[in-house]
Amino acid sequence: MKAEKGEIKVITGNAAAAHGARLCRPDVATSYPITPMSEVAETLSSFVANGLINTDMVEVEGENSAMNVVAGASLAGGRVFTATSSWGLSYMYDAVQQAAGFRAPIVMVIANRESPGILAVSGGQQDIISVRDAGWLQVIVEEGQEILDTVIMAYRLAEDYDIQLPVMVNYDGFYLSYMATGIEIPRQEDVDAFLAPLKSQPPRQILEPGEALGCGTHGIDVGFVELRYRQCQAMERAGARLDEIDAAFQDYFGRGYGGQIEEYRLDDAEIALVTSGSATGTARVVVDQKRQEGIKVGLVKLRLFRPFPRQKLAAALKGKKAVGVVDRSVGFGWDCGPMYMEVRALTPEIGIVPMLSYIDGLANLDITVPHIERAVDEVWAAAQGKPYQETTWIPLEA
Amino acid sequence: MTLKHKFIFTCEGPWSDGSRELLCLDTGSWRVERPVTDLDKCNYCGLCALYCPPQCLKDMGTYFQPDLAYCKGCGICAAECPRHAIAMRPEGEFAHES
Amino acid sequence: MTETKRKKSPVFDYFTETEDVFAGGVAWCAGCTLELAARFVPKVLGKDILLVGCPSCSAPVFFGQNRGTWHRMSYFSSLMTGVASNASGISRMFRRMGKDTTVVCFTGDGCGADIGFQPLSGAAERNEHVIYITYDNEGYMNTGYQRSSTTPLGASTSTTPAGKVGHGKPTPSKYVPLLIAMHGAAYAATATLSHLEDFARKLKKAKEKVKDGFVYLHIFAPCVMGWRIDPSASIKVCREAVRTNYYPLWEAENGAVRLTHEVPSPRPVADYLKMVRKFSHLGEADIERIAATVSQRYALLKGLDSLNR
Repeated sequence: MKAEKGEIKVITGNAAAAHGARLCRPDVATSYPITPMSEVAETLSSFVANGLINTDMVEVEGENSAMNVVAGASLAGGRVFTATSSWGLSYMYDAVQQAAGFRAPIVMVIANRESPGILAVSGGQQDIISVRDAGWLQVIVEEGQEILDTVIMAYRLAEDYDIQLPVMVNYDGFYLSYMATGIEIPRQEDVDAFLAPLKSQPPRQILEPGEALGCGTHGIDVGFVELRYRQCQAMERAGARLDEIDAAFQDYFGRGYGGQIEEYRLDDAEIALVTSGSATGTARVVVDQKRQEGIKVGLVKLRLFRPFPRQKLAAALKGKKAVGVVDRSVGFGWDCGPMYMEVRALTPEIGIVPMLSYIDGLANLDITVPHIERAVDEVWAAAQGKPYQETTWIPLEA
Repeated sequence: MTLKHKFIFTCEGPWSDGSRELLCLDTGSWRVERPVTDLDKCNYCGLCALYCPPQCLKDMGTYFQPDLAYCKGCGICAAECPRHAIAMRPEGEFAHES
Repeated sequence: MTETKRKKSPVFDYFTETEDVFAGGVAWCAGCTLELAARFVPKVLGKDILLVGCPSCSAPVFFGQNRGTWHRMSYFSSLMTGVASNASGISRMFRRMGKDTTVVCFTGDGCGADIGFQPLSGAAERNEHVIYITYDNEGYMNTGYQRSSTTPLGASTSTTPAGKVGHGKPTPSKYVPLLIAMHGAAYAATATLSHLEDFARKLKKAKEKVKDGFVYLHIFAPCVMGWRIDPSASIKVCREAVRTNYYPLWEAENGAVRLTHEVPSPRPVADYLKMVRKFSHLGEADIERIAATVSQRYALLKGLDSLNR
């Protein structure tokens, strides 16, 4: 059984997110406008206004309510959707943590933008980093089609009986949110079929009025520990489950993204670059170029960020002579980028090899071909034993 | 990793289930005085039962009687009775009772 | 023995449930008006309600401990910032599923007037089908009697203590029930624990009016510990608050305010203040200022009431 070809429309990343949500037929959705994702809310609202979906779209008075409304609806048994960015994510943070602890299978898209601390209406991944420990599953996508497809996969993952965790689908604000590309919009019946397996699972616990069941009991002593343990275990299962879902999506729709990570020309590579988000596209171009010049460089696209794809990444990078990691964010308290720091933690599995951190692309400054070329050159030199600088803030040194 | 822990919760999230486990405190032990009703004065209006915060006054058909397992001895019933039929007596007077 | 007429108070007729949904012994203070309110509400509304609460004096009893609970109602425990919004989502989902269970938020003034005020306002403006009950003990009692925005002028609390320089809270209370009525809520009302028939009638009306939209009930609920009153006096304090017009009883349908209880000869506010030791440091001038705020508030309500007669 394969899906039929869908209609191709030239739409923005924001609109792609809204179409992805529409196709999954959410019961309740909320969104509070914030640059650069207001279009998600507007597009969904227009779908509702034109009768394309039967979703209860709630115009809330702030992002904190946006998350709380969908959390309530989710635990009452509904499929829900919301969207935000940067400061909106910060404002809903208490609700975000609660949603994960309560195991509400919410899907939220985030158009990544620099988070508070410096007023910035510009792209960056700081908002992803700022909520690493919220207990949510976090996926980072590379381009518009992947946004739409990942929203669909996110529901398969979040509502999986063995997972029951909320999912953040992250895409670069300003780059992907506003860029219009040709995107194939699957047919409704094909998405319904792809999500149908969820219906034959045992039902998750939801509010049952009239029954003495309460959601959000106090965790006392070892009961608290048990709840945390269950959540951590579910997160650990999510990586392999995403691989399965991605493979099923590839099989059914003809498009796949590799699951937790995607390897590009990595098999015979001697050095590796690790990137995430839209910068991966630029990195692919540079990898091809450098290969022509004889540099055996490969690329790992970090797609699943939480849970951190420890085993997959270690297996991919094992045996490489040097690794460079590009961060579109900073790691407060460490003298290197935050994703770099997590990759560096795989040293026992990979071996002690030069690892280089590149902080780039903050505040919508482009991560360009010359920037990645420089990174490849430096990682290559480090692999040859030449001295290297561990952390480079490219915008300040380019 | 083998766990010694016997799992308390029956589902993934933090759900309580009152049908399986209804908790209760021995609030009767808090009391230092208890209500005593003069049945001659009582006219069964029920205000004592209505105003009792723990709602422990039981309808006996012609008067109301405190459930001493839960009466906290707050004295509201005595203060609110329009016929002053209830007096608060120190627990010590009932020490002989088991 | 003289034959006395034996007839139970008409309040009993309002009960749809005679059995208490709560366990017999729960950890509320002796004389706590919140306990009375919490046990009273499901007796009138019925136990098939979805209770939404948050950290507060109500939380240790409303919410379970691991798997155990202190009552047999279905509940959802929110954060203080999330009550009205969680309730909105739950209510909308129930309506989609054809479940006619009423969603009832039950929080203190700490949530409703302060940290949870924004979502309360949002839910009221969106006319969500939710009954929101605030029990007003004029402070954050569970965390140690700190002031809230409903703490009245002059009250000594742990964060506005009376001392050599401090005279208690320097500003009057925020009048939340009228603010919510002004959102055009389907029904908004004030009630207290001394006037149980009025409270019961308003609960019954709440159950009807929630079919039309947002319902807000503000319950004056003295705290024996924080206000420093004798446990046996908590109901008397409610009654005195009504008799002095310190806490007027009214209701509003879609913003049209009507007094439900008019006091023919209101007692001086000083009579109420002297029952409550959190005001014991006040001098004559302070009492006059407080009495002025009470008169002003009552005059406003009377004026609104006269528009709707």
